[in-house]
Amino acid sequence: MEQKDIYILGIESSCDETAASVVKNGREVLSNIISSQIAIHRKYGGVVPEIASRKHIEHIMPVIDAALEDAKVTLDQIDGVAVTYGPGLVGALLVGLSAAKALAWATGKPLIGVNHLEGHVFANFLNDKDLEPPFLALVVSGGHTALLKVTGYNSFEMLGQTRDDAAGEAFDKIARVMGMPYPGGPEIEKLALEGNPEAINFPRAMLDDPFQFSFSGMKSAVINYLHNEEQARRPVNKADVAASFQEAVTDVLVQKSLLAIKATGLKEIVLAGGVSANKTLQNKLAAAAEKAGARLVHPTKILCTDNAVMIACRGYYMYRAGVASPLNLNAVPALKLG
Amino acid sequence: MLTLALDTATGVCTVGLVRDGHVLAEYDISIGLTHSEGLMPQMDQMFSRTGIKKEEIDRIAVSMGPGSFTGLRIGLAAAEAMAYAWKCGICGVNTLEAMAYNIPVEGIVLAPVLDAQKGNYYTAFYRWQAGVLQEIRPVEMTDGDTLLRQLLELEAPVILMGECGKLAKKELPSGISVAPEQVRLPKASSVALAAEGKPALTGEEIFTLRPYYIRKSEAEELWDKRHPKA
Repeated sequence: MEQKDIYILGIESSCDETAASVVKNGREVLSNIISSQIAIHRKYGGVVPEIASRKHIEHIMPVIDAALEDAKVTLDQIDGVAVTYGPGLVGALLVGLSAAKALAWATGKPLIGVNHLEGHVFANFLNDKDLEPPFLALVVSGGHTALLKVTGYNSFEMLGQTRDDAAGEAFDKIARVMGMPYPGGPEIEKLALEGNPEAINFPRAMLDDPFQFSFSGMKSAVINYLHNEEQARRPVNKADVAASFQEAVTDVLVQKSLLAIKATGLKEIVLAGGVSANKTLQNKLAAAAEKAGARLVHPTKILCTDNAVMIACRGYYMYRAGVASPLNLNAVPALKLG
Repeated sequence: MLTLALDTATGVCTVGLVRDGHVLAEYDISIGLTHSEGLMPQMDQMFSRTGIKKEEIDRIAVSMGPGSFTGLRIGLAAAEAMAYAWKCGICGVNTLEAMAYNIPVEGIVLAPVLDAQKGNYYTAFYRWQAGVLQEIRPVEMTDGDTLLRQLLELEAPVILMGECGKLAKKELPSGISVAPEQVRLPKASSVALAAEGKPALTGEEIFTLRPYYIRKSEAEELWDKRHPKA
């Protein structure tokens, strides 16, 4: 018997993008609306929570309206409302969550609270229709660096994460020290194209625990290098610094991922989170995985950064498993993964 | 006309149903800032208890501020989403003005105040005349001493309302008293009554509603201070 099509409305407002999307049957993107605030926050050198929240309340309903219109789906046809409830900025999360809860209640549809990080992992299902658990996930963003075993659509096992800074955080910090605009990650990547990745040998913390990460030492080493060169009045080749730093970060990420592939015997690894847009990381990890008999899946560029497609996709699999959230669902700014 | 009203601007989370000036239901919870958790369950319980169907709602009245920035956004996001789902209108109401509807009594000046932090208050002064609310001083932000001086200059009996706890701790000049507890803080029924006779926004117009913040964010204030020419 043919199953009824399931339409999930996804809503995301955890940081500086207001986004909504309609996804059909978990894998077919019918709309993907993102209202980005990057330009607004740039002059402050980073995301200002109160300003982000103010922009979210201006954009949340127009973005939802546009997502339904683009998808040519009416609110009545929606089967469930999926929304990010953490992790993220509390004031920002509350805007999307409040709208989602009211929308779900007003229409009598199930509310599905989604973990933003699980959403990033699920962005891969949209790019690779054949991908199915189990697989490994390397989650790399401004707030997180983790290796995760996705054992099923609704079961995750944390292998290890960062003890200190997230990889993306290190990217942003180094970019700021080198005077680049926010967000720094893509700026470093652009500059690194002109530099020599072997020019400076920054330390790679491998740690005893094979699946744990540490980036604070590497971050300090880069900052110290920049200060020392400045003190000695030697000209700094910023492109070399960017390339060498990026090389060091991606070396660690790739090596740890390889250890996880070997330890679990899994044949697929996916990239998730904002840093997954980094081409050097994608290329190095793809090559290393292939050598180890595995393959890399990564989201398309638009789905690497924050979006609501991934939230709708994650919501679909929760919906299928009969998972719904109560109306008193609150924002959880430090929501954990796994 | 059946109005669903809500106010999450302060520590009170209040929802109400008002039909043509008659209060059918009001549900106030004042146990601290748990509005994100409580607003929709409160709404749900009120509808099931009254038996009123969601599709019967003609318009939504929502308190727009001044007040807690986060609280205002919780209320407005919910109001917009409900209006969008039900294709009904929204009437945004000034939180201070709505509070004045708690005490529709002539011969006194009503001074609802809300904590604007750092010793400041958002306030406006009102007076009832022939059943109509008159604004005698528009919304502004002011410190406690200035506020009391402005009230004394009116040379009329004054009732302080709202988040006036800190002001009331000082010895208040004669003629200025504090509203009784049960009508001191926002009430959704008053928000609905204040909205009656006012136009509502409909369709895509509801997307243009903005909380009445009064103040810029701290980051913007700081940036403006550091960049006086910009």
